[in-house]
Amino acid sequence: MLRFIGKRLWDGGLTLAALVVLTFFMMRLAPGGPFSKNRKISPEVLENIKAKYHLDEPVWMQFARYVRGLAQGDFGPSMRFRDYSVNDLIAAGLPWSLTIGFWAIVVASLVGVALGIAGALRRNSAADYLAGTIGVVGIAVPIFVIGPLAQAIFALRLEWLPVGGIGGGWRSLVLPVLVLALPNIAYISRLTRTSMIETLRENYVRTARAKGIGEPRVILRHTMTGTLLPVIAYLGPATAAIITGSILIETIFAVPGIGRHFVDAALNRDYPLVMGITIVYGGLVIAFNILTDLLRGWLDPRVRHG
Amino acid sequence: MKARLRNAICGLLLGGALAAAVPALADDTLDRGIGSEWSSLDPQINFDAAAGWILQDAYEGLITFGPGGVIQPGAAESWDVSEDGRTYTFHLREGLKWSNGDPLVARDFVNGVLRTLDPATGSEKGYYFYSTIKVKGAAAIANGETTDTSGLGVTAPDDRTVVVEMETPAPHILDLMGAFQMAPLHKPSFDAGGPGVFIDPARVVSNGAYVIREVVPQSHVLLERNPNYWDAANVKIPFVKYHVTEDVNTELKRYRAGEIDVTYDIPINQIEALKAEMPDQVFISPSTEVTYYSFNLTRPPFDNIDLRRALTLAIDRETLEGKIVKGGAIPSFAFAGGFDPTYHGPSIAEASMTQAEREALARELYAKAGYGPDNPLRISITSTVSEDSTKRAQGVALMWKKVLGVETTVNAMERKAWLDEFYTMDWDVFSDNLVGDFAGAETFLSYMRPSAEPGYQWVKPEYDAAMDVAAEQTDRAARNEKLAIAEKILLDDYIFSPMAIQPQRQLVKPGVRTWVPSPAGYYNSQFLTLD
Repeated sequence: MLRFIGKRLWDGGLTLAALVVLTFFMMRLAPGGPFSKNRKISPEVLENIKAKYHLDEPVWMQFARYVRGLAQGDFGPSMRFRDYSVNDLIAAGLPWSLTIGFWAIVVASLVGVALGIAGALRRNSAADYLAGTIGVVGIAVPIFVIGPLAQAIFALRLEWLPVGGIGGGWRSLVLPVLVLALPNIAYISRLTRTSMIETLRENYVRTARAKGIGEPRVILRHTMTGTLLPVIAYLGPATAAIITGSILIETIFAVPGIGRHFVDAALNRDYPLVMGITIVYGGLVIAFNILTDLLRGWLDPRVRHG
Repeated sequence: MKARLRNAICGLLLGGALAAAVPALADDTLDRGIGSEWSSLDPQINFDAAAGWILQDAYEGLITFGPGGVIQPGAAESWDVSEDGRTYTFHLREGLKWSNGDPLVARDFVNGVLRTLDPATGSEKGYYFYSTIKVKGAAAIANGETTDTSGLGVTAPDDRTVVVEMETPAPHILDLMGAFQMAPLHKPSFDAGGPGVFIDPARVVSNGAYVIREVVPQSHVLLERNPNYWDAANVKIPFVKYHVTEDVNTELKRYRAGEIDVTYDIPINQIEALKAEMPDQVFISPSTEVTYYSFNLTRPPFDNIDLRRALTLAIDRETLEGKIVKGGAIPSFAFAGGFDPTYHGPSIAEASMTQAEREALARELYAKAGYGPDNPLRISITSTVSEDSTKRAQGVALMWKKVLGVETTVNAMERKAWLDEFYTMDWDVFSDNLVGDFAGAETFLSYMRPSAEPGYQWVKPEYDAAMDVAAEQTDRAARNEKLAIAEKILLDDYIFSPMAIQPQRQLVKPGVRTWVPSPAGYYNSQFLTLD
């Protein structure tokens, strides 16, 4: 098991290193730079500004400088938001992104698994059809349609919740969390349903029933592990995807997370910010994948020996 | 049945409770949208107009901009101009204070300018002082030629006097003496904490009508009335909150829900519907940004003036802006000062023709340049990917095709790439725009001087000479007359096709009073009231 963990961590580290190198040099290949905007500035002054951010040095030297800072946990200064370092911006935004992502995962898992089990146990019942409908809607309709629609209904028409921002406390987070959870509720419920139906057909379940064990106990004790294995396999990458996928959500609901920086920083050629966000996101994706592998290995011995 | 009824009642109660729990907006707070994140709250560094709103509430320059952007006394109660128009002497009000109670003195304004020009600051705003107006010694400091600041033409002979000496007369100097360009610097707090103090409500010291109370990156900035402001008694709104809302459609919804009182922008595709729905709340007015299509003079066939004029004439600007782009831009044949009532530009032949006459002349010139149905011109327009500029480029392509038979491709690129693309000279027609430094024609015309912007590859000694004549005028009206002569020379060469004056678009709640459109975008909260 330790060797397994060690290998996964080593692979993860390599992936992250590759990500750093690729992102750094690809950003520099894009035309335009962080300060190519104002044509009225005298060339001397522009050179001064570039020198301040070491943009006048050869790219390999900038890279060495960046890696040196990175080794000390310093992501460098933001070139667009001149009052802040990238560390400041991530420290301010990441808690918002994580909060929304965390609750979206909780809601998606609980509701998704519950709907899936209900559907599997009462196939073709009202509950099954409901779950199916949510599935189709949640997967097929994109967030940028659901989000504004939810705002129009729950904020403007019913006036239950704020449209956006963070001024309304926890109420401000309800819509972003639900909209972010919806596609995953859909996917998890379909996954759970299929998996549960298969598990219910397994021999050991039949044996348990034949032994006269009550149905609730059969469901909870005997089929749960089998049912949840594919769900857990899905949850790892999905958690990473949910946290990174909040980019649109953060824009639509004006949530001050780091997702919004992801696109804007690239458009503004804010090199250090792009690097910082990419590393944080990349790190999260890798970490959750490792975590999932470990969890699956613990639940299913075939994974760790396979 | 019973259970269902119970559920329904519970649902209603819960809904009611939630609805009641949404706080009514405190009516002592003005909520203003500022679009995407402010770039900086550092008064000597920030270059964004939207962040400028925050800074102009928190800081005050020698002058300030009243409703409609009208210049009025700020920290200075009066000023004298020397005979030659090169020296301005500002007299500060008596008893001015910083927000922490420290006395505000003339030297603080000098320090602000020095920090803006200091290469170590890395500010992009120094050009206000070495280019827009030519303050003595400013260029040498900004370029790093000297670290000796004693030669700078901004001085404080005593605590209540600021003197600005310029190399050439510039009646528009007052436009640059506001907080956006010339905020004072509270040196003790800055020296102690560095630029970090500007975003720290506990340490920031300012001199405007408001002080910064709360800064949450990507979310909002909260300002509170400054009791130490000299005119605090006339500041009506106790709190102002600036909200970041990246998505303009979300901002509109937040406006409808009452979360925002004044928006940053209006979604282009909603303008017509909103005008019908709430006509008194839609404010669309000219800004100091002009859009024009530049021709690449270094490559044929754009070295042919007949062709450049044909392309300029063939565009039906009214249809383009009113029916295709529909963003509220004002079609224009002129380049400079369409928003400045004191500037009367040159008479432009195209402007007084009908569109049919323009098109007939365009076809004639196009044929004269050697093109026709058998030999169509093939060119491209380089624009940004933004919705309105892509639409505009496609509209122009369509009109050139229809009127002249020109085959045009639109090459839309991302903004940063587009900015750099200009200098590659690897384009035919460049969808260009320019934001003025103040609401006057001169800011545009001096930018077009070949000596100021060689990028257009335009050589015209007559133009520089005409601008030099204008630059010697000390009186604004006389200066505007001379500027109009220069604009005529510029427009007659058709190095670009003027297109439109860009608008600013805001939704303003009826309860917000004295919101007067200002071309340069000055809307200080201290002059607004809230019912």
